Amino acid sequence: MSNDRPDISIIGLPASGKTTFLAAVWHMVRERDSATALQFDALSEGNYEHINSLAKRWRSGKKQQRTQTGGMKVVSMRLKNAGGRPVNVSFPDIPGEDFSGMWEKREVDEGMVDTLAAKAIVLIINGDTIRFPAWIAEQAAIAKGAGLEQRQAEIVDWTASLAPTQVQVVELLQFLMSVPIGIGPRRIAVLISAWDQVEAEGYEPAELLAVNLPLLDQYLRNGRDPWEWRVWGVSAQGGIYEDQEKDEQFEETAALRELERASDRIKVVDGKDVSSDITLPLEWLIN
Amino acid sequence: MATHQETCANTDCRFAIDGKCVEGYPLSECPHLSQLSVEDIEEAEEPKAAREAVRLINLYLGDALNRIQASSLQRRRLSRLVGIIGPNDSGKTSLLASIYDLLQEGPVANVGFAGSSTLVGFEKVCHDARAASRRNTPHMERTSAGADAAFFHLDLRLANSDLIALFIGDRSGEDYLAAADNLSRADEFFELRRADVVTLLVNGEHLASSEHRHEAKAVSQQVVDALVEAGSFRRGCRLAIVLTKQDYVLGSPHAERVKREFDGIVDALLERHGSYFGDIEGFIVAASPKDITKLKRGDGVDQLLLFWLRADAPPPSVHTEDIESTRMIDFLDSKRKALV
Repeated sequence: MSNDRPDISIIGLPASGKTTFLAAVWHMVRERDSATALQFDALSEGNYEHINSLAKRWRSGKKQQRTQTGGMKVVSMRLKNAGGRPVNVSFPDIPGEDFSGMWEKREVDEGMVDTLAAKAIVLIINGDTIRFPAWIAEQAAIAKGAGLEQRQAEIVDWTASLAPTQVQVVELLQFLMSVPIGIGPRRIAVLISAWDQVEAEGYEPAELLAVNLPLLDQYLRNGRDPWEWRVWGVSAQGGIYEDQEKDEQFEETAALRELERASDRIKVVDGKDVSSDITLPLEWLIN
Repeated sequence: MATHQETCANTDCRFAIDGKCVEGYPLSECPHLSQLSVEDIEEAEEPKAAREAVRLINLYLGDALNRIQASSLQRRRLSRLVGIIGPNDSGKTSLLASIYDLLQEGPVANVGFAGSSTLVGFEKVCHDARAASRRNTPHMERTSAGADAAFFHLDLRLANSDLIALFIGDRSGEDYLAAADNLSRADEFFELRRADVVTLLVNGEHLASSEHRHEAKAVSQQVVDALVEAGSFRRGCRLAIVLTKQDYVLGSPHAERVKREFDGIVDALLERHGSYFGDIEGFIVAASPKDITKLKRGDGVDQLLLFWLRADAPPPSVHTEDIESTRMIDFLDSKRKALV
């Protein structure tokens, strides 16, 4: 096993919320009196500038900048579980484009192979931006029912980026179980992010996976590849954050900032259970 | 001194170990078996650039597989290989695309998706029936004539059952029809020799048309006759006869006639080749209807999928009453011929 292999890798397509998740975890484990399954233990030697800047943005309700492509940053945390056992957790902060590139270009950066071979995986899927497969026949029926005339638009040729979200994610997981990345059985926490935007649909996280990402649900459920998996709904922001570069200001964001504790914005849904402990999926992965 | 030995060019063939051809050829006819000297092999020199640090590692392509790739995957688990025969525009690509697209929405007849090595290939063939193409009506690209067969792959799980790897062969309909004119063309069809299920498509649109119906009936019969005659099918494999484009049929004034004539095709093939195939069944599908107000997308495809995945019936017994000789060698020879 390579020494470069992290304990947990976070994967997800672009804009799935990977960096926001990291920022929320780092804030929460360091927040005074926070009751979390995994708690901050100690700072170890290393550079915390990157993770501190992510947490700072998160606290102020500002959108995270897109993770820079071409340079992976590894975020390391020394945490401890309820029994006081120290756990070193390192998360590579990989740009989502690197994952979509695996689907579109069919290649992986050599430096990412060890990172993706972590024994535990956090897969983040933005529940609010799922690209569903849509068929011409269905759309034509809807248009016909509404009495709308269909106009011929310019035909679009196939490109890999047009594939539905669930297809891209299934392929990503198949890559993680294949040469040269595969390491055999491992755990995966599937986090459906932006939960605050999709919870009105009335589903529990596992139900939402089955309804909105049925191909991925079948792939995991039918167990061809040895994933031990579990699904959470996660709202790491609690609502809309402002884009600093566009000078955005929202009342909703202002209301989030007014909450007593910054961690009160966080919502983690496991079946019917709701908490603000964003370390629960990590604890499950590590234990 | 050079060491000579018989070698098979197909890297998946275990001829050197078990003496059997992985593609089912008699050894004397296998095109891959050759006399090769180890001294004939030039020492490959790795290009200098390749020895230097490579930052990008290639992942599998995800396109439809060639026969060697398909053979390699087939050995991993229980598998079914389906060969689809049909004239051009009979709906072959629509059929294989519809199975994948139905799985996008959930299990099909309790058959669940468990993985695929050809997601890119499926996405490509599905594109022109998807809204992302911005077409007004579903469209399917025709498979190129003369190209080798390619295989689409799905790992599937029937409820509470083992995983089954399904491989669907894709070759131009023109190539199969050419075998009805020239039996020697049938030698190319390795995907049919290895098929567990052969699927014959009968174009419903043609059967509903006064101009094409007689040709559609005749060609269905003739292509199966020719391929049986040429030994292109494994004796005991199953035959699905599929009436496609049922949406056209129901929209035509001849729906009842089409049904009657399709049943006639199935009955005729049962009568002529019932003892050759392990099972023969007829199916009616609308894989990619243009109007889904009368028939849902993929109508009837679920039943065909279950037929494809069904376990093989035991091979039919070989008739030996015609063998007059009492010599064992003649008996074995006749049995071998019957199985080829």
